[in-house]
Amino acid sequence: MTKENFLELAEISAGYGASRVLDGIELTIAKGEFVALLGASGCGKTTLLRAIAGFVSPSAGSIRVAGRDVTRLPPDKRGMALVFQSYALWPHMTVAQNIGYGLKLKRHPRAEIARRVGEMEKLLGLDGLGDRKPAQLSGGQRQRVALGRALAIDPEILLLDEPLSNLDARIRLTVRHEIRALQKRLGITAVHVTHDREEAMVMADRIVILDAGRIAQQGTPEAVYNRPASAFVAAFMGAENRVELWGQPSSGRFEIESGPANAVCTVPLDGRPLARGFVEARFRAEAAQLLAGTARDAAPAGTLELSGRVESVSYPGGLWRHAVRVGDDVVLVDAGMAFAAGDAVKIRIPSDVLFLFNAPAASSPAPIRSRPGGEKSRSLEASEA
Amino acid sequence: MSKRLLGLLLVLPALAVIVLLFIVPLAASVVGAFEVEGGFGTGNFIKSFELYRADTVFTVLIVSLSTLLIGLFSIAIGGYLTLGENPRAVAILRWLYRWPMFIPFIVVGQILRTFLAKNGLMNNLLIGAGVITPMQATAFLDWRGIVIAFVWKQVPFVALLVAGAMASIDRGTIEAARNLGASRLRILIEIVVPQVATTLLVGLILSFVTMMSVLSVPLMINAQSPTMLTADIAFRINAYGDYGVANALGLISLVITSGVAWIYLRHTMKERA
Repeated sequence: MTKENFLELAEISAGYGASRVLDGIELTIAKGEFVALLGASGCGKTTLLRAIAGFVSPSAGSIRVAGRDVTRLPPDKRGMALVFQSYALWPHMTVAQNIGYGLKLKRHPRAEIARRVGEMEKLLGLDGLGDRKPAQLSGGQRQRVALGRALAIDPEILLLDEPLSNLDARIRLTVRHEIRALQKRLGITAVHVTHDREEAMVMADRIVILDAGRIAQQGTPEAVYNRPASAFVAAFMGAENRVELWGQPSSGRFEIESGPANAVCTVPLDGRPLARGFVEARFRAEAAQLLAGTARDAAPAGTLELSGRVESVSYPGGLWRHAVRVGDDVVLVDAGMAFAAGDAVKIRIPSDVLFLFNAPAASSPAPIRSRPGGEKSRSLEASEA
Repeated sequence: MSKRLLGLLLVLPALAVIVLLFIVPLAASVVGAFEVEGGFGTGNFIKSFELYRADTVFTVLIVSLSTLLIGLFSIAIGGYLTLGENPRAVAILRWLYRWPMFIPFIVVGQILRTFLAKNGLMNNLLIGAGVITPMQATAFLDWRGIVIAFVWKQVPFVALLVAGAMASIDRGTIEAARNLGASRLRILIEIVVPQVATTLLVGLILSFVTMMSVLSVPLMINAQSPTMLTADIAFRINAYGDYGVANALGLISLVITSGVAWIYLRHTMKERA
């Protein structure tokens, strides 16, 4: 084994009864790496974490730590410590007893336990709280006690099951950085389960996006954010705006034909496996540029231009958010200045923030879809541009 | 004013039931305990202590021992239901353990009388299995029989309460201990039982009070001396028509159960503080 494949998951499948929750998960985690398992509820991320921890036994596949097969080992023989979503602190024990329990189980001498508990309290900013019961602590303090209890036994791998989801939004932001800094300082390998995209982005070295028990994509936060491998990942990473276009690849470029709401546009293919047919275009509200429908200057090369009409405007802070009807779809676009509802507008999306995917049913004949350009949509006068 | 009167009127039926059926008889019994020929005095208590001191001690010891055993067995049953890893064994135990709860004390006494007698089923089985010889067979129909009957009857009730409380504690607290390497026994003793301690205490106190008031079991299993206070009370009334001493013995039982209730109250007050 090398440093790169410290924790290896091979072909992990698991399920409860007849339903399959995990389906052939392959994942390799390096020593000292912080990996976030990201997904919507029910995608299997917590089950995967529990399988790694040893609370769920996989129906197939193997788990290896530093080359040692731990698939059938009990939770305490894996060198891992789990931090629970509910913290699961023992309410009848003091903070010091909670943190020291793992060492007590390992029959460490009392003086050493006290020393280690003191170290943990200092490390986590829990000084002077050793004699309190969990009920007397704030949410953030409880969370740190749970972390201290897990770290006190000096595990090789720290498993975090949505540890921030029970905290107030404001505390959560600081605790994110605290956990990340602690993980870096201790050089510990961490696997963190979350459904919060931003949390995963901020904390992790690598993000693993799970969808229906499979890995949809894995990579650095930048890679997953900027180069989503599928429409699902793009949507999950915030590119919720979706329009349907028609196009075909041609010598390293992808030519988007003009449609009822879009102009002709050619974007670099950039290694994407796009085929001729309908494509799903996805982009983020903040990645697009909003112009008045009367703007006469031509769009720069490689920039997709959509025409639409503003339906509503809101102010979430910083920028104005416009709901714009483009053909049959409504997309959200941010702009520095507000357009009024009913205004005709143009939306420009540069090719590097425009994610294109072949529509899943593109190969089969879809009677509802007609090739755009054949007839002009009456409601979109601005599409003449 | 009329509203207050109406409120009082609405409470009156319930209040009357409590006063007439509960407070008046209790007061009459307490007063009766101090009634001696030609006035009031402590004669009944002196007589009670002379005649039944051994029975009082016997009663407290038997009920305390039974309570202790009930606690141990119900923790064991609740613990297995919560931490057991063999789903079939857990299902069988869950189905079986509640049955004695639905059997009246008098029937329990009857069942155990035939089971524990010198020529009873238990000894026959032991002799048949070659564990003891017929010469070694002895009846269990003494204090041991009473304890067995009480435990047999009360364990399901306490186990039901305890298992329910155990099922509702955060599973994470159990898994966190397992994650750190605690054995199942340690988890039960150090993690699970402390979290259900209040429920366990309530169940045991209710059992204690119930056992203090059971007449049928001591009569069926152990009617000789020493016996339990309930049997003595019945004897005083049925044989002598001596309500004075019977009331005094009743008050002594009440003091014993009040002591237990006080422990409970003190504990819950401390929890709330």
